[in-house]
Amino acid sequence: MDSQRLGNELKKILPPGRVLTSSLERKMYSYDSSFHARFRSFVPDAVTLPRSTAEVAEIMRFASNNNIPVVPRGAGSGETCGCLAVRGGIVLDLSGWDTIEEVDAANMQVIVRPGVVHYILNEHLAGFGLFFPPDPGSTRMCTIGGMVANNSSGLRAVKYGTTEQYVLGLEVVLPDGRVITTGGTNCRALKNVSGLNLTKLFVGSEGTLGVITRIRLRVWPRPRARGIVMAVFGSLDEAPAAVLDVYQSGILPSGIEILDSSAIQAVNMYKPEINLPAAEAILLFEVDGNPAGVEWEGQKIVEITGKRALSVEWATDSQRMADLWRGRGVVAVAAARLRPDGSRIFAGEDISVPLSRVTEALRRIKELGREFGVAVVNYGHIGDGNVHTAPVINLENSDEVARANGLVDAIHRLAIELHGSTTGEHGVGAVRNQYALAEHGEAVNVMKRLKETLDPGNIMNPGKLLPPGEE
Amino acid sequence: MSMDLNSLKEHYLRCVRCGQCRAVCPVFAGIGNETAAPRGKVFLAHMLAAGELKADAEIAHNLSLCLLCRACTRECPSAVPVHKIITAARSLLAREVPNTLQKIIFKEIWSRSSLLNISARLLRGCQNLGLTVLGRSMGMLPPALDLVGKLPRRPARSFISEVTRPEGAPRIKVGYFLGCATNLMFPHVARSTVAVLSLLGCEVITPRELKCCGLPQEENGQMDVAESLARSNFAAFQRLGSKAIVTDCASCFAALKDSSAFKDIEIMDLFQLLNGLLPGHNLKKIDRAITYHDPCHLAKAQGITAAPRELLTRICPGFREMPGANSCCGGGGSFMLYHYNTSMGILDKKISAIKETGAKIVTTSCPSCTMQIRHGLAKQGLPIPVIHPVELLAQTLGIIF
Ligand SMILES: Cc1cc2nc3c(=O)[nH]c(=O)nc-3n(C[C@H](O)[C@H](O)[C@H](O)COP(=O)(O)OP(=O)(O)OC[C@H]3O[C@@H](n4cnc5c(N)ncnc54)[C@H](O)[C@@H]3O)c2cc1C
Ligand code: SF4
Ligand code: SF4
Repeated sequence: MDSQRLGNELKKILPPGRVLTSSLERKMYSYDSSFHARFRSFVPDAVTLPRSTAEVAEIMRFASNNNIPVVPRGAGSGETCGCLAVRGGIVLDLSGWDTIEEVDAANMQVIVRPGVVHYILNEHLAGFGLFFPPDPGSTRMCTIGGMVANNSSGLRAVKYGTTEQYVLGLEVVLPDGRVITTGGTNCRALKNVSGLNLTKLFVGSEGTLGVITRIRLRVWPRPRARGIVMAVFGSLDEAPAAVLDVYQSGILPSGIEILDSSAIQAVNMYKPEINLPAAEAILLFEVDGNPAGVEWEGQKIVEITGKRALSVEWATDSQRMADLWRGRGVVAVAAARLRPDGSRIFAGEDISVPLSRVTEALRRIKELGREFGVAVVNYGHIGDGNVHTAPVINLENSDEVARANGLVDAIHRLAIELHGSTTGEHGVGAVRNQYALAEHGEAVNVMKRLKETLDPGNIMNPGKLLPPGEE
Repeated sequence: MSMDLNSLKEHYLRCVRCGQCRAVCPVFAGIGNETAAPRGKVFLAHMLAAGELKADAEIAHNLSLCLLCRACTRECPSAVPVHKIITAARSLLAREVPNTLQKIIFKEIWSRSSLLNISARLLRGCQNLGLTVLGRSMGMLPPALDLVGKLPRRPARSFISEVTRPEGAPRIKVGYFLGCATNLMFPHVARSTVAVLSLLGCEVITPRELKCCGLPQEENGQMDVAESLARSNFAAFQRLGSKAIVTDCASCFAALKDSSAFKDIEIMDLFQLLNGLLPGHNLKKIDRAITYHDPCHLAKAQGITAAPRELLTRICPGFREMPGANSCCGGGGSFMLYHYNTSMGILDKKISAIKETGAKIVTTSCPSCTMQIRHGLAKQGLPIPVIHPVELLAQTLGIIF
C-alpha cells in the first residue's frame, strides 16, 4: 500500500491531526539516538499518534489484515534502532499518551499509560513519598513504555535491579488487535505466581510481540538519606578488588561507578576546574537509606577502600556530593570534546561482563581502540559489570566511520568471549541481533517459535531482536 | 552574531539525538510529536546544510515552531547550541524561500526607526477608530494583534533626553539602551528606569540615534540586518563615550550580550547594578503580594534569575515564587504572530501558575512577555497588572511622575 493510501486509511481510524503523512514529517521519525541511524534513513510510511487502547487495537487489526509492519515508539531515546521502521510501515508514537492513571499508594503501585516520562513519574510519586527505582541516564526523556519494552535500568541497578522487577502487570494489544492483561485481569496484589509469567515475556520484548498500552508498576518508599564515597586508585586492578571487599563486608551500595584513566583525562580536559586526580581509576560509591545507616555504611566503605586507594572522601552534604559526582555527570559530554571535530557515538556502548572480568574488559577495550585507531572513553556501572564505552570519531570521515564499526563489532565479540552480554541495558534492536545466536544458541529457536505464535504475520516491529532475516 | 549554518557544523554533528531537549521545549509540549522537538529541528538544519533536504515552505514552517527561548540549549548534555542552529537555518531559509510578510516586518519596518514610528502611529490610529476590530472580523488582521494592546500616545524617545544628570553626587556614567518595544509601547518603563538610575546617582546616556537591537531580525533569519544594526548602535554609544550599558528589556539585553559588535563596552545587568546602588536609600515597601516571571532572554539566555528576585524581595516582603517561573510564556516575539493557538496553549499554563500564587501584581522585564501575560490574564478576566520591576522600584523610592 503506498504511503498516501495508507495515510488515508489510517485517517479513518484516528481523529484529525493524529496521522502524519508528509514526507518531511515521516522523515522526522527516521532516527533514534543510535550511531546506526545516522547513516541509514529508516523512513516509515505513516506515523500515528494513538491515545487509547481501542485506537491501537484498531490500527493493529488494520495492519494485520493488510500485512503492514507496525513499530511502537516512545521517546526515541533508544540506541539500537528499536523504534525505527527498518522495513517501513506504521510508527505508533506513544509518547504523547502520558497519563498517570492512578497512584495506588495503599497498595504500593502506580498505573500509567505508556508515554509517561520517567522523571515526571518520579516527580509525581515524590508527593506520595514513593519512587520507581530503575533510573536510566535518559530519565529526562525516556518513556515508561520504552523502559518496559527495553527492560531498562540505570546506575542504581546494583541495589534496585531493572525495570522487570517492578512490572506487576501489563495491558498489551497483540498483533491481531486482541487486548490482553497480564499479571491478572483485575489484580492489585503484589505477589502473583498463577499462570505462565506473560508479564516477563513482554518486558524486554522490544515491541516485537505486542504494543504495551497500560502498565502496573510496583513502587517503593523513597530513601531518606544519601551519601557518596569517592575513592582514587593508582592501579586499575585495585578498583574491582575494592568493590568486592565492600560487598564482602555485607554492604550493598545503591550505585558503584568507575571512571578509568581515559575518562578522568577527558573530564579534566573538558572542565579543568573539576580537577580529578590523575589516577588509573576512580570509584564512586553511592549509599542510600535511613540517615544512621547511610552514615555507618559510608564510613565503613571509607575504611575498607582506604586499604587499597590512594585517597578516599565521604560526603553527605548536598553541595559536596554534587562536586564529587560532577566528573561522572559530565563524562559523556567530555568524551565528545576529546577532539574539536569529534562526536561521541552510541555504539558498542553498554556491554556487560562478569564482575571478575571488568578490569580485563576495560583494558582490552582500550587496546582495541588503539588497534582500530579510534579514541575511546570508558566508564560504567562497575557494581554490576556494565561497561559504557564512548567512541569518539569524526562522523564526516568515512574511513573513521568504518574503523568505528570494526571496533564496535570487536567490543561486542569481546563481551561474549568474556562470558558477558552484548548489551546490559540498551537492548538488541536492529544492531545486536546479529549476535543473537552466539549469545543464546538453541534458545534463539524457542524465541522464534514464541514470536511466530504471537505474531504469525511478522508485522510487529520486524527486523529486530532475532537474527536478521530469520524471524 | 554572525551565524552561517555551515560554521555550526561541529555543533549540529555533536547532537547525539538523545532527545533530552524534549523535556523542556514548550512548543514540543504543546504540539506533542517529534516534528516540534528541538532535536527534530537540529535534524532538519543538519539535513538542510548537508543538502539532503531542499529548503521549502514546510521546513520553514517546522523551523518557525520555535520561541528561541533557549531552554533546549541549557538542557542539552552535549552542549549543542540548538537556538543558534535554528536561527542559522532560518537565515538560510530566508535566503532561499523568502517569506514576504516576514521580510517586510523585520527588514523594512523594524530596522528603520522612522518607519516603525509611522507604523505604530497607524496602528494607534486604527485602534482609535476601532479598525482593528473591523479588520479582524474581516480576517485581515491576525488575532495576535490584540496582544499589542492600546499604544501610548507618546514614545519614550520624546521625553527622555540624551543626557540625564544624576540627582546628587554622580556615582557612575551609564549608557541606557532604549529598545523599540519599550520606547513605543512601554514608555513609562523607560521613564522609570532613567528616573531610578538618576536618583541612585547615575548619569544616564540615551543616544538619540539608537535603532532596534537586531533580535527580531536575527530570530527571523535576517542576520545581515541584525549585524548592521548592532554596529550602528555601538557607534552611537561610542560617540557619547559610554563604557557600560544597561537596558530594561530582557530581549535587548540578550541581543547586546550576544553581539560581537560591542567591543570595549560592558553590557551590565540592570538588576545587579540596582542591587548594588540601593543600600542606603529609603524604600517605602510594597504591601501587596507580587510574583515574577523569568523572561527566557534573561534566565535561559544569560542565567540571570537571582538578581531580579533579590531586588523584588527587597522592595516587597510579599514576594511569592510561581511554579515554573522559568518556563516560557509562549510569547517569543513574533512566534505569537505566526502560531497564535500554540502560543495560547503555552500561555494558559503560565496563567494557571500565576493564579496559584494568589499574587496581585505580576512583574517581568520583557515587553513581549508583558504583552503576552497581560493578554492571558485579560482573556480570563483577571484584573492583575503586569509591570516591570523598575516601575515598582520607582514607586518605593518615592518617585512621582
Ligand atoms: C543519553 C542516554 C542515556 C541512556 N541511559 C540509559 C540507561 O542508563 N539505562 C538504560 O537502560 N537505557 C539507557 N538509554 C537507552 C534508552 O533511553 C532506554 O532504552 C529507554 O528506556 C528507551 O525509552 P524510549 O521511550 O526512548 O523508547 P524508544 O527508543 O522509543 O523505543 C525503545 C524500544 O521500545 C519499544 N517500545 C517503546 N514503547 C513501546 C510500547 N508502548 N509497547 C511496545 N514496545 C514499545 C520500541 O519499539 C523500541 O524497540 C539511554 C539513552 C540515551 C540517549
Ligand atoms: S540537541 Fe542536545 S539534548 Fe537535544 S537531542 Fe541533540 S544532543 Fe540531545
Ligand atoms: S529554543 Fe525553546 S522553543 Fe525553540 S526548540 Fe528550544 S526549547 Fe523549543
